Amino acid sequence: MTAQDTKERLLDVKGLTVEIDGRRGPAVVVDGIDLHVTKGETLGVVGESGCGKSLTMLSLMRLLPNKIKVTSGSADFDGQDLQKMSARALRKVRGGEIGFVFQDPMTSLNPVMRVGDQICEPLLYHRGMSRQDARKRAVELLRLVGIPGPEERLNAYPHELSGGMRQRVMIAIGLACDPKLLIADEPTTALDVTIQAQIVDLVKQLRSKLGMSVVWITHDLALIAGLADRVVVLYAGTVVEDAPVDALFANPSHPYTRGLLASIPTLSDAPAARLSSIGGTPPEPGRRPPGCPFAPRCPLAMDICRRDVPKLEPISSEGSHRAACFAVQKALKAA
Amino acid sequence: MTLVETNPAVGEEDRPVNLWRDAWHRLKRNKLAIFGLGIVVLLAFVAIFGPYLTPHDFLSQDLQARNQAPSLAHLFGTDDLGRDVFSRVVYGTRTAFLVAIVVTAIALLIGTTLGAVAGFFGDPYDRVIMWLTDMTMSVPNLLLVVVINASLKTPIARWMETQYMATLNPFYRETIWIDFFLVFGSMAMISWPPYARLVRAQVLSIRSRPYITAAMALGLSNRIIMMRYVVPNALGPLIVSVSAGLGTAMVLESAFSFLGVGVNPPTPSWGNMISDGLRVWQHHPHLLAAPAAVLGLASVAFSFLGDGLNDALNPRGTK
Ligand SMILES: Nc1ncnc2c1ncn2[C@@H]1O[C@H](COP(=O)(O)OP(=O)(O)O)[C@@H](O)[C@H]1O
Ligand code: SF4
Ligand SMILES: [Mg+2]
Repeated sequence: MTAQDTKERLLDVKGLTVEIDGRRGPAVVVDGIDLHVTKGETLGVVGESGCGKSLTMLSLMRLLPNKIKVTSGSADFDGQDLQKMSARALRKVRGGEIGFVFQDPMTSLNPVMRVGDQICEPLLYHRGMSRQDARKRAVELLRLVGIPGPEERLNAYPHELSGGMRQRVMIAIGLACDPKLLIADEPTTALDVTIQAQIVDLVKQLRSKLGMSVVWITHDLALIAGLADRVVVLYAGTVVEDAPVDALFANPSHPYTRGLLASIPTLSDAPAARLSSIGGTPPEPGRRPPGCPFAPRCPLAMDICRRDVPKLEPISSEGSHRAACFAVQKALKAA
Repeated sequence: MTLVETNPAVGEEDRPVNLWRDAWHRLKRNKLAIFGLGIVVLLAFVAIFGPYLTPHDFLSQDLQARNQAPSLAHLFGTDDLGRDVFSRVVYGTRTAFLVAIVVTAIALLIGTTLGAVAGFFGDPYDRVIMWLTDMTMSVPNLLLVVVINASLKTPIARWMETQYMATLNPFYRETIWIDFFLVFGSMAMISWPPYARLVRAQVLSIRSRPYITAAMALGLSNRIIMMRYVVPNALGPLIVSVSAGLGTAMVLESAFSFLGVGVNPPTPSWGNMISDGLRVWQHHPHLLAAPAAVLGLASVAFSFLGDGLNDALNPRGTK
């Protein structure tokens, strides 16, 4: 047993598989993912856009759009399988125990509802608060997420706020009921760089203040460095590497992770240099190659890679760092 | 606190007014829309207070003064029974508004409910409801109304008669209610499909917006999401179509009266006045001109107002 396993798992996802019903038949987008989050931990989920990060998180909460279905796997949250739970029980978890923050604060708030009312909504529903109490709590929440003049902002419509302010409001809504877990799906992607940093700082502060677990989804590995305790790297709907954050940055193993790291701009990097670090794009659902899904883009690809699917296996002595790559495993055996 | 954004993205987003006030500001700049609004308000005033203010009763006959041309005593002249046409047009305004509002309200209720269910819950509701909508739309309007009238009027009248015999309640003697009931009912039956289609399309487009997923992620019930997230966002286009629908209902009522299936005399409606006027217009053109002009004015006013609201409620439409 590793150190991680002994800690209590708040969220434990096993073999989660998601398929899209396309015109050419069902296509796998999330392929038997395992991941977990322990209490108080921040998990970073990283991968290029189109790797299935959003669908993974939406499928956990059974929020998938029509024609996209979970076909197997389980997702235990606090000891209960979210996939098997009754719709009523699930609604209690949504917003009550698990808060969500979405990518685009411009379109994720109801444009015709005052932000105060939107913050009150989960409080009225999950906490059964009176409207008055809910509004008081909403003011507290707006203050908590660093919005100046919270009493007045309560009456603002989303379009009257800047992007950064709207994302703070989203976070306030996500936090309204003191969730045990906050899932943030690229919450800073739509914001400019300085605001990004502020939002990251905000979540860091709130996390320790409120003692919650966080799943932070991003395509930007650099953003994760100072934020996550552990990182899961997704490629084409599979976990290709997972590790404690320090181990990942000290010893990135999977060629995809290394490619992502090479795309982190350093001060000396010209923009052109980072764009060229991994050629090609992730495969579309339904067009995944047999064998290792990364093989078509991998500089180390061997024959076996095009034939067999590499399994996620420990590559560190204590087992907390794992990668799914034949080349890595071969090098390990040789050493 | 360092977290505070002292300078939230300046400019375009810092508008200190809300959606409706914005819409009102845009509407005010639209001259045609304001003209339409003015006429609608005036007609509404006439519909409510007019009958108390007219110099003559709309029913009182003066057989000495039949078919008179407009004069100071009778602004729009008198009709073949010597009734004051102006007073009748004024009372007709009340009828027109009553018909338009009730019919539109019923059609809106049916259309919105069916459209929202079809769009929100999808198949199999969607398929059944859309089939019903297409069916209703494919039957010619007037045919449907004539059939409804022909098949229902007599049985209802007979039922009212037996009720009266049994209870002696004078309410059952008022045949006017049958008219209104049939006119309202049959007009609503042909008016709901466009609302159902519009609401369904709106709901389908709104349902896939991120804020709906966000609301579901908050654990809110379908009913709350529907009432507080979907419907209010679908409201803009609906208001526009209701405004146009009110005008259409007034015109429709006139068409029905012309065919003898509208509101019946002696209750004045623009429609039955037009239809009476048409028979004698070569000799007494004012009997046709007065109600027709007012009907035309009302219809144009509602349509201008509807167009104006359309532009005003769509912030992206104006820069
Ligand atoms: N509503 C949808 N219909 C069809 N395909 C979708 C839909 N949403 C996502 N996909 C596809 O599923 C894959 C994974 O999407 P997503 O989970 O959004 O990726 P990520 O969040 O990592 O960028 C992508 O290839 C995307 O094209
Ligand atoms: S398994 Fe092979 S193709 Fe896949 S990443 Fe490793 S070396 Fe590259
Ligand atoms: Mg995404």
